[in-house]
Amino acid sequence: MNSMLSKALLQALDTGAAAEAETVGFFGRIGQTVQQWWQDLSHEFYRNFIYENRWEWLLEGLGNTLLITFFAVLLGIVIGIVVAAVRSTYDKNSETLKRQGGLGWFLLRFFNGICNLYLTVFRGTPIVVQLLIMYFVVFATTDNDILVAILAFGINSGAYVAEIFRGGILSIDNGQFEAGRALGFNYVQTMIYIITPQMFKTVLPTLCNEFIVLLKETSVAGYVAIMDLTKAGDLIRGRTFSAFMPLLAVALIYLVIVIILTKLVGLLERRLRKNER
Amino acid sequence: MSDNVLISVRNLKKYYNGDKIKALDDVSVDIRKGEVVVIIGPSGSGKSTLLRSLNLLEMPTDGSITFGGEVITKKNANLNLHRQKMGMVFQHFNLFPHMTILRNMTLAPMKLLKKSAAEAESQARDLLARVGLADRADAYPAQLSGGQKQRIAIVRALCMNPEVMLFDEPTSALDPEMVGEVLEVMRELASSGMTMAVVTHEMGFAREVATRVIFMDGGQILEEGTPEEIFDNPQCDRLKSFLSKVL
Ligand SMILES: Nc1ncnc2c1ncn2[C@@H]1O[C@H](COP(=O)(O)OP(=O)(O)OP(=O)(O)O)[C@@H](O)[C@H]1O
Ligand SMILES: [Mg+2]
Repeated sequence: MNSMLSKALLQALDTGAAAEAETVGFFGRIGQTVQQWWQDLSHEFYRNFIYENRWEWLLEGLGNTLLITFFAVLLGIVIGIVVAAVRSTYDKNSETLKRQGGLGWFLLRFFNGICNLYLTVFRGTPIVVQLLIMYFVVFATTDNDILVAILAFGINSGAYVAEIFRGGILSIDNGQFEAGRALGFNYVQTMIYIITPQMFKTVLPTLCNEFIVLLKETSVAGYVAIMDLTKAGDLIRGRTFSAFMPLLAVALIYLVIVIILTKLVGLLERRLRKNER
Repeated sequence: MSDNVLISVRNLKKYYNGDKIKALDDVSVDIRKGEVVVIIGPSGSGKSTLLRSLNLLEMPTDGSITFGGEVITKKNANLNLHRQKMGMVFQHFNLFPHMTILRNMTLAPMKLLKKSAAEAESQARDLLARVGLADRADAYPAQLSGGQKQRIAIVRALCMNPEVMLFDEPTSALDPEMVGEVLEVMRELASSGMTMAVVTHEMGFAREVATRVIFMDGGQILEEGTPEEIFDNPQCDRLKSFLSKVL
């Protein structure tokens, strides 16, 4: 009874050992492949990002991308407000001012014409061409590349922002405008106290989306030798002759930023809607 | 000109599309202090255009308007200053949706009359109490019913201490059960001696509150008189046929 049991046990152990040996062989081969792949991957990773501290290029590029975007957004808003103000003033007051004539009417028509020209030109040509002209023609003597890029992207963005603002102003019920004027506010006061706050609320989501687009558009800054995020990835690619890792990393960084910004816009939108009641 | 005439309209014309549409075709009328002038007439007859011309929300094509002894239709008139003394109430209320009721009421007095916040607020709260909405001071317009909104619109205009109040169909956008509460406020305002010009389809209100009724058609004033003269003894055919439709 005892020996029978131990014999069976031994037999069982034997079979188990054989099976184990087989398993090791199969998984071993997979393991080796995975290991090889992992080694290649980490080697690639090392070569592209760690060696010579190449990740710092990406960091610097990201810094420049954010810097250009941020100040271009500010410039775009300022230009957008000015242009939208001129165009809306022209739309709303042309009847009265035409009657009165004089210098005011002349100036308004003049500036309205300039604004229209600006909108047509800057929305009608590609941003890369505008950037190249800025860099090689208008500011050929400057060596502050980042500043030139900020101006180029800001001036371009301003054209789109202006139309967003103007659309926002047009979307406000004319009764709001009349109520302001009927209380005795002048045109500018009515715009400041009554129209603009409502306009900002309605255009804020559109405006934020415009800035997300702008962030991605700055990826052409490399055309004028600015090391932005895209250019940084491309430089690494040129150095390591491997495109996969650096370009994928660049895409991933853009994606993460855009997803975060989009989430924030969504939150903002929901908050605005709640305040509306 | 007798010196209790507040607004004097002379040969007022308002044309659209060159002279194809004559919204106002040579209108002359005086409004005296303390009068409640009700303007009636079929749709498109020029009632709104006349009312909106009084504070120059519409720029007349020709003619003159004198307000408080000053010709406000001349080129260099200070429109904003004149408008401060003319309250206006619109069909669609036009409250400022991004501000509380209190802010709606104190904005203009503080910015234009340079009143202190405390002063403007205490006046606003008094007026709110007068129209039974003292507890809604911190609400936003969207939280109010139509009748409440229009009562707020009236007291918002009153916060500027106007010399005359202009109403353009103040009850036309309201549910029937809310018309009464707004007319009640207007009735009270009239009995307090406020000069008023009112465009309305509420013939009951016109008969009861008006000191004078003006009937317009085709951009012209066809008949004017006391409510009794207009409603009980109409002269021209178009007024007779208009009354037969609305009464
Ligand atoms: N901006 C405009 N452009 C062209 N025509 C206009 C304009 N505003 C008003 N009109 C015309 O002027 C005439 C008078 O209009 P108004 O609004 O004064 O009439 P109303 O008596 O107030 O009518 P309702 O009772 O419908 O309000 C109408 O024929 C109208 O079509
Ligand atoms: Mg009307």
